[in-house]
Amino acid sequence: MSAARVAVTGLGCVSALGQGAAATWAKLAAGQGGIRPVMRGFRDDPRYTVDGPAAAIEGLDGAALEAYAGKRVLLQMDPVAAFAAVATHEALLDAGLLETPGQLADASVIYGSASGGNLTIEEAYGRIFLKGASSIHPLTIPKYMGSASVSQLSMLFGIKGLAFATSSACASSAHAIGEAMHMIRAGRAQIVVAGGSDASISFGSWLGWKALQAMSPQTCRPFSAGRNGMILGEGAATLVLEDMDHAIARGATIYAELAGAGASSDAFHLTQPDGEGAVKAMRQAHADAGVALGTPALISTHGTGTPVNDKMEAEAIGQVYGDALARHRVIATKSAHGHLLGGAGAIEFLVGLQALRAGLAPPVLNYLGPDPECDLPLALGAPQPIAAEVLVSNSFAFGGLNSVLIARRV
Amino acid sequence: MAVSADDILDVVAQEALVDKAKLLPDETLESLGIASLDIINIVFALEDRFGVVLEQSEFEGVHTVDDLVKLIQGKTGE
Repeated sequence: MSAARVAVTGLGCVSALGQGAAATWAKLAAGQGGIRPVMRGFRDDPRYTVDGPAAAIEGLDGAALEAYAGKRVLLQMDPVAAFAAVATHEALLDAGLLETPGQLADASVIYGSASGGNLTIEEAYGRIFLKGASSIHPLTIPKYMGSASVSQLSMLFGIKGLAFATSSACASSAHAIGEAMHMIRAGRAQIVVAGGSDASISFGSWLGWKALQAMSPQTCRPFSAGRNGMILGEGAATLVLEDMDHAIARGATIYAELAGAGASSDAFHLTQPDGEGAVKAMRQAHADAGVALGTPALISTHGTGTPVNDKMEAEAIGQVYGDALARHRVIATKSAHGHLLGGAGAIEFLVGLQALRAGLAPPVLNYLGPDPECDLPLALGAPQPIAAEVLVSNSFAFGGLNSVLIARRV
Repeated sequence: MAVSADDILDVVAQEALVDKAKLLPDETLESLGIASLDIINIVFALEDRFGVVLEQSEFEGVHTVDDLVKLIQGKTGE
C-alpha cells in the first residue's frame, strides 16, 4: 500500500497584516506590509515600553470565536493561545469541520511555539519584582507553558487524538506541519490540525532580541543591500491537513497537496547558521515530494533580513538549485508580516499556498538594491504573475533546526 | 486616594463579564457566577487601576459585592 497523500483543506491566520487568510492575502497581493512604529507599555510605565518598529496586532477580533465558544473563551488565555484559537477557529470553519459536533474526535493537533506566553510571565514576575506582592496569578503556569495553545485547541474544538506542541524556535510550526504530514501518511490520523503562534512583542522579549543585536532599528529588508536585521511580529497560522481520499470523499475544498518535507539539524551553533543543514533539508524535501529541482517553484525563504542569515540562505539556495534557479521566483514575506517566530513557518507556508494558487508573487518589501552576496531571482516591485507548480517553504531556526515544506498545486 | 464604589464596580463588571446593573451590594459573588479565578482577575485589575496590592489571603472573608467594595475602599484610604 502506498502512503496516503496529504491535502490542505483549511486555512486560518492572524498577524499585523490583518485577521483572516483572505484579508492577509489581500494585503500581500497589493504589496502592502504591516511593519510600523509600535509603542507598547508594560503597566503603563514608560521605563518598560516597547518602542520601535514591529509588526504588531492591534486589537484581536474574538467575535467569531466567542460566538462559537462563549464570551468568556479568551479570558484565561495568554495572547499566544488567543491568536492560536482565533486562527484555528477560522481554519476549521473554512474546512467545514465545525458543522457537526464530534467531527474532530479522531483528529490530532500539533502546534508550535518558540517562546510560549511571554506576557503572562512578565505580568506575573512584574507583580513580584515591581509591586512587592507575594503571590501571582494561579493560572500563570497553565497560561505560559509551551503546550498552552495546543491544550486550548484540543478543548475548544473537541480534538481527542494525539496532541502536542513543537518547539524548534523559528521552525516550530514548520516542523509541526511536516510531522503532521507524516502522521497522515502513516495512517495514524486522517485529519491533523497544524500550525503555530507566538506573542513576543513584550518588553522582556524585546530586550532579549535587542541584546542579540538581531533586530533592525528601521525595517525588514530581506536579501537587500543595507539590510540590518529582523522585525518582530506576532500572530498565528493554522492549516487543516487531511488524508487526500478523505478530503475528496467529503467534498472538501483542497487548497494544495502537501507533497513533501525535509528536516535537518546543523549541530553547529546556537545562533549562527552553517548552511549545510539548510541544503540538506531542501534536497530532502524535494526527494520526499518527488519534485525535480527544475520544476518551476515559488521559493518562500526564511528571509529574516539579518546580514548573516540571508547570505547563508542565498548561498544554500544557489547550491541546491544551481542553473535551475532561473526558473524559480523567490519571496520573503517577513518583510510584510514580520517574524512570527513559532508562527513563522506556518504563516509563510499559508501565504505561499495563496500565492501559488493565485499565480502571483508578493514582492519583497523595503528593498533598497541588490546585494552581490544574495544573488536570487527575487520578486520585487509590483506583485508579479508566476507560473510556479510547487511551493518550497524554508524555515531555518536558531540552534540550527531546519525544516522545508513542499506543496503542489492541485 | 478615595475610590468610589462605582469605579470599583466598573472593574468588576469588565473583568468578570457581568452586567454592572446586577452588582447589588448584598448579592453574593457566587450567585453572580463569579468564580475564584474571576475574583483573582478582578483583584489584579483593581490593583493596577487603584495602585494597591492585595494578597489572596485578604479575600477569604469576601462573599458579597459590598464586601469586595469595602475591602478595596479600605485599602485605598476611604
